[in-house]
Amino acid sequence: MNEILLMAHVFFGVTCILASVWVFVDALNAGANPASAGRIKIISLAAAAAMWLAFVMGGYWYVVFYAADKAVILKGPWPFAHSYFMETKEHLVVMLLLLATYLPIAASNNLAGNPAARRLVLWVAAMIPLLGLMIEGHGAVIAMGVKVGLLAQPH
Amino acid sequence: MENKIVSKYTLSFGLSLAICSVVNALLVIAKEKSPALQTAMNKMTGHHWITHSAVIIVLFLALGFLLAQGKGDQGDSAAVNRLIKFITAGILLSGALIIGFYLIAD
Repeated sequence: MNEILLMAHVFFGVTCILASVWVFVDALNAGANPASAGRIKIISLAAAAAMWLAFVMGGYWYVVFYAADKAVILKGPWPFAHSYFMETKEHLVVMLLLLATYLPIAASNNLAGNPAARRLVLWVAAMIPLLGLMIEGHGAVIAMGVKVGLLAQPH
Repeated sequence: MENKIVSKYTLSFGLSLAICSVVNALLVIAKEKSPALQTAMNKMTGHHWITHSAVIIVLFLALGFLLAQGKGDQGDSAAVNRLIKFITAGILLSGALIIGFYLIAD
């Protein structure tokens, strides 16, 4: 069950990244295509919802199940997978949650007629995948830290 | 004419986002450097990370609504450009503080 939870956490994180990229691309053309405004609002809400789901699922897994993985990592050859990567990930993700929550607020303005409002959405939508991909990479290193820790255990 | 182009909540929650990002990083450093603070945060919710996240989320919402009370109805183009710089600076500073702390100081 906890593996499903962890995969769902990653799935919703990736969904948030993809939705933010969609918002970015749609916002680039929102001046020439006013009809996209409604779509941008819906997809930005989806990005925020996906991020909240990823955050709650990942947070639950971290608080309830991570202690066993942490012990394996710290005894293995990649202790930095916890001491640097997990420690930074668990705190950078709070910023990502705030950015994703803010995206639909920024997208609620009249994007078709206002270049400055579009610029704001573009900046926020661009920061989410950049930070999100960095955090996904951190997650991959943490998973590898567990793997090499388990492989290093005597059989 | 390009004035009054974003809502007061866009400005207030944008400011709140930038401020809370930096507070997030400072709280990381404070709890890692102060075992007493981390113990207190553990006791509050059972895990310091839950307390940490809750503090930042509540602060984000509270500041977003509070700062909106002091604003006019909407912001103009210059205010939006300043907001973009403020948010970007807040995110970059916070990221640098968190990464730098765990890379160097911790």
